[in-house]
Amino acid sequence: METSDVLKTLTQIFRKVLKRDNIVLTLESTAHDVAGWDSLTNMVLISQIEKTFSIHFTFREIVKLKNVGDLCGAIAGKLK
Amino acid sequence: MKTYVRPDLIADISEAAVKYVDRTAMVIEDTPYTYRQLFEKVAAIYKAINQLSEEIIGIVAENELETYASILATLFAGKTYVILHPDYPEIRNLQIAEQAGIGCLLYCGKDREVLSPDVSVKRICTTSQDGGQQAIESSVLSPWILPEVKITEANAYIIFTSGSTGKPKGVPISRQNLNAFYAAYRRLGWQLDETDRMLQMFELTFDVSVVSFLYPLTLGASVYTVPSSGFKYLNVLNVLDSHRLTFAAIAPSVLRLSRPYFPSIQLPELKYLVVTAEATDVNLLAEFRDCIPNATVINLYGPTEATIYCTAYAIPAKGSKHHNGMAAIGKPFSGMDVLIADENGQSLPVNITGELWLSGLQLMHGYWNAPEKSAYCFIRHTDGKLYYKTGDLCYLDADGDIIYCGRKDTQVKIQGYRIELGEIEYRVKQFYDNAFNAVVISLPGVDSNDELHLVIEKEEEETQKLEQYLQDHLPSYMLPKQIHFLHAFPLNGSNKTDRNKITLLIQQ
Repeated sequence: METSDVLKTLTQIFRKVLKRDNIVLTLESTAHDVAGWDSLTNMVLISQIEKTFSIHFTFREIVKLKNVGDLCGAIAGKLK
Repeated sequence: MKTYVRPDLIADISEAAVKYVDRTAMVIEDTPYTYRQLFEKVAAIYKAINQLSEEIIGIVAENELETYASILATLFAGKTYVILHPDYPEIRNLQIAEQAGIGCLLYCGKDREVLSPDVSVKRICTTSQDGGQQAIESSVLSPWILPEVKITEANAYIIFTSGSTGKPKGVPISRQNLNAFYAAYRRLGWQLDETDRMLQMFELTFDVSVVSFLYPLTLGASVYTVPSSGFKYLNVLNVLDSHRLTFAAIAPSVLRLSRPYFPSIQLPELKYLVVTAEATDVNLLAEFRDCIPNATVINLYGPTEATIYCTAYAIPAKGSKHHNGMAAIGKPFSGMDVLIADENGQSLPVNITGELWLSGLQLMHGYWNAPEKSAYCFIRHTDGKLYYKTGDLCYLDADGDIIYCGRKDTQVKIQGYRIELGEIEYRVKQFYDNAFNAVVISLPGVDSNDELHLVIEKEEEETQKLEQYLQDHLPSYMLPKQIHFLHAFPLNGSNKTDRNKITLLIQQ
């Protein structure tokens, strides 16, 4: 799966979980840029992402993610 | 000249700083700082504030060496520190500053606007990055002589907690309170020394930060703080794992959020896990045990008014004492007395639930400039001692352990029946095999009769099976009238589940 496809799916997941249809994610987006993306919703987001892509992250993988680009890369890596 | 009564927390830190001068005192954002580096900052800030007439020093909470050095310098100078937080609304910081009577504000260069510029207060930048303002240059201490530890009658710190009237309530903790705590805390028998690596994950506005930061420095050990950017629970896990920490005091919410990753967490170096700040779910903790095979787990309880912690319970791997899944809080610290009181203030026998009252050396003397609030919370018992009414429901078991049963305000009366909301929450969590958190909130319903609302931290789903399960396990008057789902429970500044915010969310 291409990074752009992963980003598209991620955007849908973020919009659904955070209940906001106007979320636009870029590879540079961080929790700081996306309203409602905090410690608590992050857990829900990750669990939705794992479910959607049928993948599983370890906590060491999760703590390394600094922005949406890292997240896309990690997902793409697991889908290979 | 006054001399301090030993043990004195600050005097012990001073001695450790001399003895372990080149060991790592703090690690902040992966940067290590030695005791020498930390105390060079302390000495410079001490010099700047020691000459001031202002006794109450405001400090902006930042994850910087200078912030921690500011706290130490204030305590060394025998003054009182009050934390202001950049994440607080401006009005709250202003209320705290005004109520406390902050005369001087120490900040690190980024957050001087925590109080608006028209507020009259001396502002001192503790880094030298702030151009126009008075700034402190770090000084090289040569010879290596630390600032004098001043003994004064001033409070060590004032912590502001939320007040029911909407105005923050100041809890002043004296140097004597702090030292009484320190003496009792040491007697818990920690096997820790200068080689230990210890976590400080708490906001500086919350008093567990005081012990998480200061106690390791009495040992010559290293304090690891948690980055303020990103996600707190992940940052905590990362610091614990990457620095192989040996001691951690954490809020149970960290465990709850980390649960999906338990299978990939291994922290064999951890010697102690302290759970604190809110009731600990013994089932969740049992699941976490595999991640911390060599750790002793201790539940430490205490209201801010009784200086950080005042009871301790070592939670055994099997057969933990609990009430509705909430871990017991154990026995009082040395120097503290407890009483379980009924509604008339009479002492209750074992196994009977009442309100926990605390008395002893760690107890503050009254809220800051609020005698009416103090009068409400303190009571002189017939035994002659002054007690603080905690608002926590507990009972004493036959071994003398205090069993925590929830907050007094989580006990409600519905149709004349007294109900502990915790019991319903416990059943719901059992239904979900402890995979999800739940709170029950009582709200006025039809005809002003209270109704129970169950809120589950989970995606929305059919509730038929859950309702059936609750009907099978609870009397009808305990069954929730409505069930709500929230993706995630909001937390307050002390990492506790914020019931007030949840109430607002379900009413939207």
